[in-house]
Formats: sequence, C-alpha cells, structure tokens
Amino acid sequence: MQDYVGVQPVFQRNYNRMLLPAVIAVGIFAVLPLAGMVALSLTDFHLINGWDKEFGLKNFIRLWNDRRFMSSLNVMMLLSVFGVIFQVLLGLLIAVGLEKIVPKWRFMRGIFVVPFVVPAVAVALIWLSLFTPTLSPINAFFDLFGITVPAILTTQYGAVAAIVIADTWASYPFVMLLILAALQGISGDLDEAASIDGATKMQIFFRITLPLLKPALLMVALFRFIETLKHFPLIFIMTNGGPGRTTQATNYYAYIQTFQSSNVSYGAAIAVFLFLFAAVISFYVARANMRISDA
Amino acid sequence: MPKARTGPKQIIGVTMMLAFVGFTLLPIIWALILSFRPTTHLFEPIWESPTFLTLDNFNTLARSDFPIALFNSLVTAGSSTVLAMIIGVPAGFALAKGRSHRKFIASWALLLLRMAPPVGFVIPLFLIYLNIGLLDTWAGLIAAYMVLTLPLVVWSSWTSLAQIPDELIEASLLDGATLFQTLIKVVLPAARPGIVATAVLAFLIAWNDFFFALIITRSSTVTAPVSVMNFVSYASVDWGSIALASVVLTLPTVPVIIFANKYIVQSMGGAVKG
Repeated sequence: MQDYVGVQPVFQRNYNRMLLPAVIAVGIFAVLPLAGMVALSLTDFHLINGWDKEFGLKNFIRLWNDRRFMSSLNVMMLLSVFGVIFQVLLGLLIAVGLEKIVPKWRFMRGIFVVPFVVPAVAVALIWLSLFTPTLSPINAFFDLFGITVPAILTTQYGAVAAIVIADTWASYPFVMLLILAALQGISGDLDEAASIDGATKMQIFFRITLPLLKPALLMVALFRFIETLKHFPLIFIMTNGGPGRTTQATNYYAYIQTFQSSNVSYGAAIAVFLFLFAAVISFYVARANMRISDA
Repeated sequence: MPKARTGPKQIIGVTMMLAFVGFTLLPIIWALILSFRPTTHLFEPIWESPTFLTLDNFNTLARSDFPIALFNSLVTAGSSTVLAMIIGVPAGFALAKGRSHRKFIASWALLLLRMAPPVGFVIPLFLIYLNIGLLDTWAGLIAAYMVLTLPLVVWSSWTSLAQIPDELIEASLLDGATLFQTLIKVVLPAARPGIVATAVLAFLIAWNDFFFALIITRSSTVTAPVSVMNFVSYASVDWGSIALASVVLTLPTVPVIIFANKYIVQSMGGAVKG
C-alpha cells in the first residue's frame, strides 16, 4: 500500500464513530430483548398469576419431559427437512434450466421471482384457498373426471405436506436467484474444455458444475433451514397448529405457551432453545460465507 | 457454440420448465380470479361461469379497516427502514472498509440476529411494552421492526460497499473530506443500486411481517397483514376480499421483481461471488 504524506490510508482511518450508532441500536433493540428472554426463561412468570420467586433451570427440565415439546421438534424437523429439500431441488433445477437447458428463456427469470415477493400472509391465504375443497379449482378440476381430491388439511401428514408445498412455492425463488448468481460465476471455459475432451452435457453437469456449486448450495440450504425453523404465518393461517396439535412446530408452540396459555417463562425457555439452535447453524453459515468470499 | 439440437432431452427440459411456470403462476392467477369473483359464485368452478366477475370486493375492502391498516403498514415499515438505513449504512461502510479483526464475529452476530426466532424478541418486548404503554403504538412497532431491518441493512450495505474501490475513497480523503463526507458524497452515489436494493429489502421485510404486529398491535395500529385476518371469522370466510387484500399487499413488492438483479441477490444472501 502506498503511503500518502499526512493522510492515513483508507484502512487505517478510525471507523469506530460510524460503527457506534449501530452497536448501540443493536444493543437496545436486539440484545436487550434477548437478555430479557434469557432472564425470563430462568424465572417463573405467568401472565395472569404473576411471579414465583424461584430462579433456576426448572423450565428447561420441564422442556425435557414435555411430550408436546418433543412432538413439536418432530414437526419442526419434518417441515424444515422436507421444505429445504424441495426448495433447493426446485431452485437448482430451474436455475440450471434457465442457464443451460433453455437459455433463450432467461427473460422468464422475472416470472420465477414472483412468489418470492408475495408476503407470507398472502402466501398462506392463497394456499389455504387452494386446499379448501369447496373452493379450490384443483378439486373442481378433478371432479370433472370423477376424482375426489381429499381435503389434505384435515390429516396430520397432509397438513404438514400442505405447509411444505406452500413454503416451497414461496421460497424456491430465493434458492434459484442465489444459484443463478453462483452459476454465472463459473467460467464457461471449463465447460468448453470438458466438451472438447468428449464429456457429455450430463457428465459436465455432475462432474464440473455441481461440485463447483457445492459451497453455494450448502449455504443456501443452511439459510433456508433456519428460515423454516421460524414458520409462523403458514401454520397460524393454514392449519392453526391442527388438526389437533399435529402441526404445532416448536416456534408455534412457544407462541401458544406464551400468549395463549400465559406461561411466559416457559415460552421464553422454548425461545432460548430455538435461539441456541439458530446460533449453531448460523455459525456454519457465517463460516461457509467467509470461505466463499475468500475463495 | 454448437447449435442446440431438438432431441428428447430438450423436450423433457422444456416440459419440465413449463410445469414449473405453471406451478409458479397458477396460484397467482387464482388469487387474481378470486379477487373479482362475486360472493354468490365463489363456490362454482370458474369455467362454469367465467363471466361472473365483479368489483364488489373493492367496495368491501374500501369500507373495512384495511385502508387504515395499509397506512399503518406504510408508516411503520417506512419509518423503520429510514431509521435502519441512517444507523446501519455507516456501520456497513465501517465493516466493509475498516481494518478490523472482528469481522467474522460481526458477520456471525448479524446472521444470528437475522435468523433468531422472532418469538424470542417478542416475549420480552410484549412485557416491556405492556408496562410502559407502547403496546398498540406506532413507536412500539417501529422499534420492534428495527430487529428485522437493522441487521439486514448492515449486512447488505456491507456487501455492496465492499465493492467500491479503495482508490475512490482515498482520493476523496486526500481532497480533505472527512470519512463521513466521503460516505455521503462519494461512496453512496457510487453504490446506488446496491443501496437502493438494501432499502427495498428492508422495507419489504417489515412490510411482510405478521408475527410482531399480531402481538404488539391491538386495534388502532393494526397493520395490513394482520388486518386481512378480519375477513376470516367463525361464521364465514370472505374469500373474495381476502384474495383482493392479498393482491393489494403484494403490489408494493413489485419493485423487487423489477430490481430482481444481482444487487438483490447480493443483499439477500451475502457475498456469493458472482
């Protein structure tokens, strides 16, 4: 780096003053509530019954023995794992399709972005209407052929599938956009060299393109995984946790405990659990992201 | 480049892509149809009475609380975006160009804040607001939205400002400008697309929020996404109004499609090299 007389280079300027407002704001708006969450989880506060003087890990021990909590973890994993698998597959297929199979259709990228910008509430309501048998054009269409489409929201796994479908519809564009960006970063020379060497298109895709996409795929999958842990509007609107309690994912269960059963401290303990879970995964996302940027 | 052959593989590829277009667009088209269907013909298949369309749902929507809720959404999402930009962009600049050994920690913290479950923020906020009277106020909701917008703004301005060449900043500093002047007069204009994308995304994330508003608002400051639920009651569901409200809710997000370019991608996912 060249030195200028009397002027410090860009990197040596003092940036602290620029950082300070954000640090303070994050402290007030984010760290303070998070500290409150942790503090609440260690006490016993009920919205109506008030405080119990006890202080300790009681809520976390209760979590361990709570069957509803355990089944909420199960639902959460079902929603996240299947959601991420379908979103990544669909996003990858469409991105590769737009880049390699029908490059003339690249202008259609705009069409595939549409679901991404539909607010979650609208996504939930549109898919709720599509899964309401008396209303849905899907049911009406199959009725023409005498086929009765079952009401999937009334069965346990059907309701899980419905949420996964709606989430996949809304979220694959995110995956697609990131993979498109990664694809465009891969030099075309590699493809050309391989095809001169006699590799088929399939071989090029599986041996060259896919391995090069791996870091981006991993990152986007982790990213979506954390997002799916936070499912709320889809569950609230489409199934309301039902039928029964079968689609109460952990995040939703924390909401139920806090705001419907008034068990504030217990709800906070569930939130702490979710937070720690997200912390571990986001550590890997941050690391994967650093690797991609440093590459 | 060899000319593409029309073989079975090509046909499979095209069919697959068409199926994806269908999956993507049919729910949207369905919502649009539903918006214009009269209540009396809602439960008939659309192909049996395709001409029964009406503007009644617009009237219902206009006479409901939905317009006020839209205004509430606009004010709260807008204010928190502006605040987050003012506070967050300088921080993004500092992280992009400052020499710090804590960048990994900063990026992890930002990611963690973006990914932390909202329920964790909402529980303590709800109790605090209950005690200091911020429930059902604009200020309370704007403060809550800072949790959503600020980490996003810092992260995304960090990635877009990192691409501004150091020489540009150095030249400005050599001319005697302060760091802050350099940011405002030199760096921001040079990074305009990325900064605009950042603001758009921050606005959208607050605009789309359902959970915070559900807990923090009660009546006078209910936002549009929560207000839509008013059309769902135990007795009946006003599907036409719901569909129309969903369409209206989606309209402000249209700029994203227009901006759906590399800036949005960078802002969303971080520094995926492209």
